Order: sequence, then C-alpha cells, then structure tokens
Amino acid sequence: MTTVRLGSRPSAVAPAGAGAAAKTRRPRPARLLSRGSRVTMWACLLVALAVYVLFGIVPMIANVVMSFTNYTALPGASVNNVGFSNYSAMYTTQAPGFDQAIVATLVFVVATTIGQNIVGLVFAHKLRGEGRAAAVGRVLVFMPIALGVTIVGLIWILFFNPDQGPAASLLGAFGVHSAFFGGDNWAMPLVIFVQIWQNAGFSTLVFIGGLRAINPSIYEAAKMDGINGWQRLRRITFPLLAPSVTVNVLLAVVGSFTTYNLIYVLTDGQYGTQTLGMLAFNAAFGSFQANLGYGAAVLVFLFVVTLVVAIPLMLLLRYRERRLFG
Amino acid sequence: MTVRRPRLVSGTAIGILIVLLFLVPVLYVVMMAFESPSHFLTSPLTPGSPDVSNFSGSWSSADLGVELLNTILYSVVASALSTLLGLAIAFPIARRLLRGHSLLYTFCFIGLFLPFSVIPLFAESRILDLYNNRIGYIILHVEPGLPLAVVLLTAAIVSVPHELDEAAYMEGAGYLTYLRRVIVPLIRPALLIAFLYGMLGVWNDIIGPVVLLADPSLFPVTRGIYNFFGSNESQWTLLAAGIVIASLPVVILFAASQRQINRASVVGGVKG
Repeated sequence: MTTVRLGSRPSAVAPAGAGAAAKTRRPRPARLLSRGSRVTMWACLLVALAVYVLFGIVPMIANVVMSFTNYTALPGASVNNVGFSNYSAMYTTQAPGFDQAIVATLVFVVATTIGQNIVGLVFAHKLRGEGRAAAVGRVLVFMPIALGVTIVGLIWILFFNPDQGPAASLLGAFGVHSAFFGGDNWAMPLVIFVQIWQNAGFSTLVFIGGLRAINPSIYEAAKMDGINGWQRLRRITFPLLAPSVTVNVLLAVVGSFTTYNLIYVLTDGQYGTQTLGMLAFNAAFGSFQANLGYGAAVLVFLFVVTLVVAIPLMLLLRYRERRLFG
Repeated sequence: MTVRRPRLVSGTAIGILIVLLFLVPVLYVVMMAFESPSHFLTSPLTPGSPDVSNFSGSWSSADLGVELLNTILYSVVASALSTLLGLAIAFPIARRLLRGHSLLYTFCFIGLFLPFSVIPLFAESRILDLYNNRIGYIILHVEPGLPLAVVLLTAAIVSVPHELDEAAYMEGAGYLTYLRRVIVPLIRPALLIAFLYGMLGVWNDIIGPVVLLADPSLFPVTRGIYNFFGSNESQWTLLAAGIVIASLPVVILFAASQRQINRASVVGGVKG
C-alpha cells in the first residue's frame, strides 16, 4: 500500500533546528529571538550605529561643509559662506606652502610605504620562528606600536638631540655635525625613518602570517632544481605573499596619507616636513592661524587624493592576487 | 630542518640590527631618566650615579599623578564603550539577524579607514558641548575603536555554535543576559584584543588633547610630558623620566596580555 503525499507541510511541532527529516536547512535564527529580545537587539544596535554615524560619518560631511566657510576657532567670530575661495587659494600663492605640502606628502607616502614593506619582509623572515629568540624579537619590533606616537617621537627627539644626543656624538667622532630634526636636509629623512620604525611591527606581523601560510614543500621542490636566495624570493616567496602585500601596501599608503601626529611631535611640520595633513592642522590650530575653513578644504583635497590613489591601487593589487592564485 | 636554506642576507646580522634599532634608543632614554640634570649637561652618554630626582621632579611639575588618572579614565572607559557597542553591532551581523547584514558590515568596515579628523570634530565638540570636559573627551574617542571591534567580534561570534543560541531561546533567556552569560565568556580573547587596541589608541593620542582640551587639569600624560619638550635643556632629563612614567602602564599591560593574545591567535584560526 503506497501513500502519495501531495506536498509536505512542515509539522507545527517540528523541533526548531534539530534536523527534521523533511528540511535540511535550519530555520533562520531570527525566529528564535523573542519579541522582547529583538527590541533590545535593535535598541543596542541603533545606539551603536548612532555613535558611529555621529562621530565617524558626520565629521566627514561637516568637513566638506566647513570647507566652504571661513569658520575660525575664535569665539564670537561670524561664520560666512565663502564659496570656493578656500579651494582657489590652494592654486594661487595666497596659500603658502601648499605646493610644498603636496611634494612632501608624496615623498612621505612613497618612502614610508616602500620602507615599511621591505623592513617588514626582512624582519618577518627572521622573526617567523617558534623559538624564544623569535618571540622576543617580535615583542621588540611590536613595542613601538604599544608605546604610541608621542613616546616614540620623544624618544627619537632625545636620541637625535643635536647637542647631546648619542647620534650627535657618533657623528661628532667623524667631525660631522647635523641639526637632525632642526634642519632642511635631514628632517624629512629622519621623519620617514621614525615613521617606518613605528609601524614596522605591524607589517612584520602581517608578513609572518603570510609566510606561515606557504607550503614548505614548494621550497624543497625548488631546491632540487637548484635555486639561490634571490630567485627564491622573487619567484616563489613574494608572489605567494600577495595577500599580505596587498594588506600592507594599502594600509601603509592610506595611513601615511592621513597621519600627521608623528610629524607634529617631531617637527611640527617645519623644515620641509609639512605634509598635507600637517598643513591642514597648522592652518586650523597653528600658532598664528585659526582658519578651520581652509584646513577643512585641505582635508577634503587630501581625502580625494587618497581615494584616487588608494582605489586603483587596491584594484591593481587584488587583480594581481587573483592572477597569482587563480 | 637542519639543512641551511640559501640566504640573501645574514640572519645574525638582521638579529643584531633588530636589537640595536629597537632596544638601544629605549635603553638610552631609560638611562637618561636616571641621570641627574647636571651630569647630563656635562657627559650625557655615561650613566653616572643613578639619580631618581628626575622622577619626582617630573611627577610634580607636570602633575603626572592627575594626568595618569585622566589617561586611565579616558582610555579605559572609551575603549570599553567601543568594545561593547561593537558587540551590539557585531552580534546581529554575525548571526545574520538583519536583512542588510553584509551591507552593514561593509559600512562598518570602511570605518577602519576613516581618520580621526580633529578639524570637524573640534567644530562638533563646540556645538555639542563636548569641548574641554571629561565626558565629552571620552565620547569623542569611542568611535575610533568601533570598526575594529565590529570586525574582530563578528569573526569571533561566527565561530560560536548556533546551538547555544537555540538553547538560550528555549530557556527563555533575554538578549542581554545571553550576551553577557554565554557570548562574552566565549569570545573573551577577541574582546580583549579589541579593548586593548582601542585603549592604546586613546592612551597614545596627542592631537586629541591638544585640540579638544584646554584645561590643564584635564590633560592626559601624553599632553603633560609634551610640556617638557620645547623648554630649556635642563628639562631633558625630566622629559626622559616623564617618558618612562608615561609608558610604564602600557608596557606592563602589554606584557601581561601577551599570553591572551597568543591564545587568541590560535583560537581565531590565524597562526601566530
């Protein structure tokens, strides 16, 4: 005797998820939350989103709005719409330092990105092991991130003290004197150095993760074919590290475009180190200026430049990843 | 592996370089902190006899006690808030309780790339009366830690089995009770990392205090020791002592949490 089932209806008493015979898909968990719980969930979610929007998204919008005004930090001053005059000031010499800021920013971004990645890769090879020495090394390299920009900046200011610091004494033994952070020649290279020093730990950790994901048998096969260190790096390791390279390069580029607090501590933007971010800050909060409108305009410009550089870069790096990994 | 792999650069050289680069400058500042100001003026590179007057000097002249308390207050409270609010967003995303959950995730993810923009935040703080007060300063520092918390906690919650959700529902447990009793203990490593990272961000912030605080009694330590800088040379040793004092809590915290972080890396499925 066969019974024909004309369409099965899920039984009303079927257990909520424990694999009822007719259904293999577990019901969506949303149905598991009681109505009171769902209200709580939404309340918490909306509060969190409100904070995120109010203090993360709104400032971006406010920045654009401010760039069309002459808002100053001075109390009692009126705020007026000045149209595009903040932007046109960038092109003309009305705004001193803008062209130099663009050059400084580009130098800073390129140098720190390349430097951080090379240093991170070199350190990662050395510090990838499981032993105690490697662990200590990782802690040392990561320490600047824990110390923070202020401490890091002040440490290096003390180290590169032109009169009494160790670097000065070392150079003095060769009869060389330098103003270090206080001179046009070395301020920018030293700032780049400290920036790389500060962030090397992060790049190193990312590359260590990438290195550990590589199958060692690939190296053994390559060794049988006879391969030296440089070829191994270029043909095997570096391509297989593509995901880590993507992460490190993107973070370094975006980070170095927008960051300026280390520059603030080291040189306050003097001696050729005034990047666009530093310029915006000084325009708004510097000693003799209080032009937040112009500062906001510089920030808008910086944001656009960052997007224009970062998005194609990201697409390029992801394309490279897909080509290498299929 | 006992066979030596072909090496580009000597491994020992790199090791020595790392130690030199990352240990020597720090040790120099620590040594400086123990030099008396007069000794520093004459022979700064030799330790001389240890002198602790710099510590008491910088402690009192910058009021580091008050500033340390401020720093701890700001960073702990702001980061706790960002971690908790991050959890409030991460759970619905991880459990797919909303229709737009992946869009929401992307929305929060791009927050990782939003800089802490003091120019508009300053204007906002004036309008919302968050300028130059403790509560305002804390509130302004909650958002920077949010995106990372959302990303980390979403990944962590996804690895918690759904059966626990169902069991809690059967028991009639409320949303917040369930989060507190079941989820939080299970994702503790991720919570800790999110909290520590957020805390570091607030602790080490120097631009924030410069722009958003005016009253010296509200300053955190970073702002406080910054005062030593730019003064005359006899203050250099005080600055060094201030640096040591300001970084001690962070170093201790960092060392104490190493084991938790290592465990978290394994739990999260990421090696190392």
